[in-house]
Amino acid sequence: MIVDALKKSLAAPKRLIPVAELLENCHGSRMPEVRPAGLTLDAAQLSAEVCPTTALAIEKHRDRLRLKLDYGKCIGCGQCIEAAPMAFGLAERFTRSGVSRAELIQSWDLADGTEIGSGVESVRTRIHKLMGKALNIRQLDAGSCNGCEVEITALTNPHYDLERFGIHFVASPKHADMLLVTGPITRNMAEAVRNTYHAVPEPKLVVAVGACGVSGGLFTPSHAVVGPVDTVIPVDGYIPGCPPTPAMLVAGILQVLEQYAGKPRRP
Amino acid sequence: MPSTNTLAGLQIPAAKSGGRARLVTIFGRRDEEGRKRVHYIFDLGKPDYLEKIVDAEQPIPSIALSNPAACWHEREVHDQFGIVFTGSPDSRPLLFHDDWPAGAHPMLDGRAGGEPSPALPQSSQPTEYRFLKVLGAGIVEVPVGPVHAGIIEPGHFRFSVIGDTVLHLELRHFYTHKGTEKLFQGRPVMMGAMLAESVSGDNCFSHAVAFCQAVEVALGVSVPARAEALRLIGLELERLVFHIGDVGALCNDVGFAVPAARCAALKEDLLQASARWIGTRYWRAIAKPGGLRLDPGSATDFALSIDTTARKFEQLATAILETPSVQNRFDSAGILKRQVARDFAVVGPVARASGIDIDVRRDHPYGWYRQVAPKVSSIHYGDVTARARIRIQEAMESARLILETLRTLPQGEVSTCFEPKGRAPGHSAVESPRGELFYWVEVADGLVTRCHIKSPSFQNWPTLPFAVAGNVIADFPLVNKSFNLSYSGCDR
Repeated sequence: MIVDALKKSLAAPKRLIPVAELLENCHGSRMPEVRPAGLTLDAAQLSAEVCPTTALAIEKHRDRLRLKLDYGKCIGCGQCIEAAPMAFGLAERFTRSGVSRAELIQSWDLADGTEIGSGVESVRTRIHKLMGKALNIRQLDAGSCNGCEVEITALTNPHYDLERFGIHFVASPKHADMLLVTGPITRNMAEAVRNTYHAVPEPKLVVAVGACGVSGGLFTPSHAVVGPVDTVIPVDGYIPGCPPTPAMLVAGILQVLEQYAGKPRRP
Repeated sequence: MPSTNTLAGLQIPAAKSGGRARLVTIFGRRDEEGRKRVHYIFDLGKPDYLEKIVDAEQPIPSIALSNPAACWHEREVHDQFGIVFTGSPDSRPLLFHDDWPAGAHPMLDGRAGGEPSPALPQSSQPTEYRFLKVLGAGIVEVPVGPVHAGIIEPGHFRFSVIGDTVLHLELRHFYTHKGTEKLFQGRPVMMGAMLAESVSGDNCFSHAVAFCQAVEVALGVSVPARAEALRLIGLELERLVFHIGDVGALCNDVGFAVPAARCAALKEDLLQASARWIGTRYWRAIAKPGGLRLDPGSATDFALSIDTTARKFEQLATAILETPSVQNRFDSAGILKRQVARDFAVVGPVARASGIDIDVRRDHPYGWYRQVAPKVSSIHYGDVTARARIRIQEAMESARLILETLRTLPQGEVSTCFEPKGRAPGHSAVESPRGELFYWVEVADGLVTRCHIKSPSFQNWPTLPFAVAGNVIADFPLVNKSFNLSYSGCDR
């Protein structure tokens, strides 16, 4: 009976998701995207008013108004889509993880709806020279609601199988190349976060994960929270989402790795 | 008026069955005049909860000695509001760690939660937390955490062991304390639902529904039948996903890798089916006060996924429980005695595995549970096997409830529009995958003025040391996993 059941499970059809379907796929994350054709000043104002985390904001640049969308602050609440369905829709394909915080921000000119380039160029050089072929990740919860944790745990399931990229989760920061940090850093965790950071040998990468890790999210004004990850330790990459889906995490980790090789090392 | 009469009112009431009433929660609040109040919520075994309110401008007597379940609650109320409980057996700080300034009680200042609070200064004389010392020849202290070896939340465990055997375990949590209850204050009810979703991410829909129901009770809003039924589906899906994941994680902790991977894959199948149907894996941004924010439409494919996954899981679970190496590790590991569970008012699957037959869905029916009744099972062994069996049975029951509800899904609107007017309190409980989740919310003109969250984890954590004592330290991860408590839900 037992042997039969296990044999059957081993013979189960392959469920591994192909790499091409993982990258730039954010289905289920509820991240919005701007539909420039429908972007009017009214739509921009309505959406900025309902946004709970100021991820959407209108700013003045010289004489022109711009809509700024900061994915690092977005918790995917969908209120902008409800308020202005012509100007916003659910994003299906998406790559907004980045080496610098600025790469998570897009803006549009509200007079003609054109997107304004952020001026941040992606560096596409392989990380392998720097880290070797494999990457060891230590996940660190700095105060998260565990929403990001459940999705990071999902990376090891047979659908995503992160190990196929040579990426491995380790138990000790001393074995790690990368710290994957979630949550707004709470006052009670700040010291442990610093200690963990110092325990990781150089060269090391730190990636802030989720709206809270990137920007503090809904918890920004709290007396018990210090702030986003980069207020306590240096951060090399940002993966937005509340929480980011496993596909966004895979794509984000790979993208940060690829971009890092071209970035000057921290002193 | 603080009088001896009100204090005498603190006598713990008797339950319908004649035994002592179960303590649900204790929390502090400042009333409209700014007076400090303490609210006690009891379960008398009747559909309605009993609420007692005591004036707390003066110190009030602690009930923790006769009712250990009250201990963490009283410590929390003291940290938040500076309310003194006389005769408390444990007056150590709970939420605040060593460097918090003495006398800081963040819920006392009148600032709304949405306004940035000034950073509290570092204490010039950090006090060291007093752990209980176990002394004697050959006794060794093993500190573990807050950062654990794995993708887990932070918390500290202090073991006193002799050889491999745990004599005593002391918990120190609240590393993920984010001042969430304060953040609710002054926020619109709509944003309150989002904040509730971020209390414990793996059961975010339970939190959102509990918050929305409390607001609906406060404002007298009735929810359309279709929304209630869809909420039930979301809640049961959450339970199904949660329990399948848990059974897999238990296998992983005893080195039984193939079923662990199979469970993880089944869990992922459900999450993807959910994303295809309703656009989100964990039902975030779905619930709102008055109903739901969207109608997912036809559920034919979703129902098929639930049915297939449940069948596969049933087969797998039978194989797991019949495996001798699993039985060897699960049986009589981490026994939580019924008396301890009763004293600490434990809830959820952990209570039901220790012979306490409680379930909010049946005892305090809400929403669509008034139409479809869940079958509640309990086992009295209280060990890891019992908790695993309860989870498997509940998972199968959840699948049945989802399919039954989908077959008879009412048509119509999924939300009620309402004007949030006036000032009123309301409370609501939901049976989350971890057990009774209780929200007490006060709304004034559309803004939340006080929100208290009793998470099942907060209630269950203090009993983990009782289950671990006497076991080998190497079994701790297994016992801990069989409780599967949330750190963030507890710490908030």
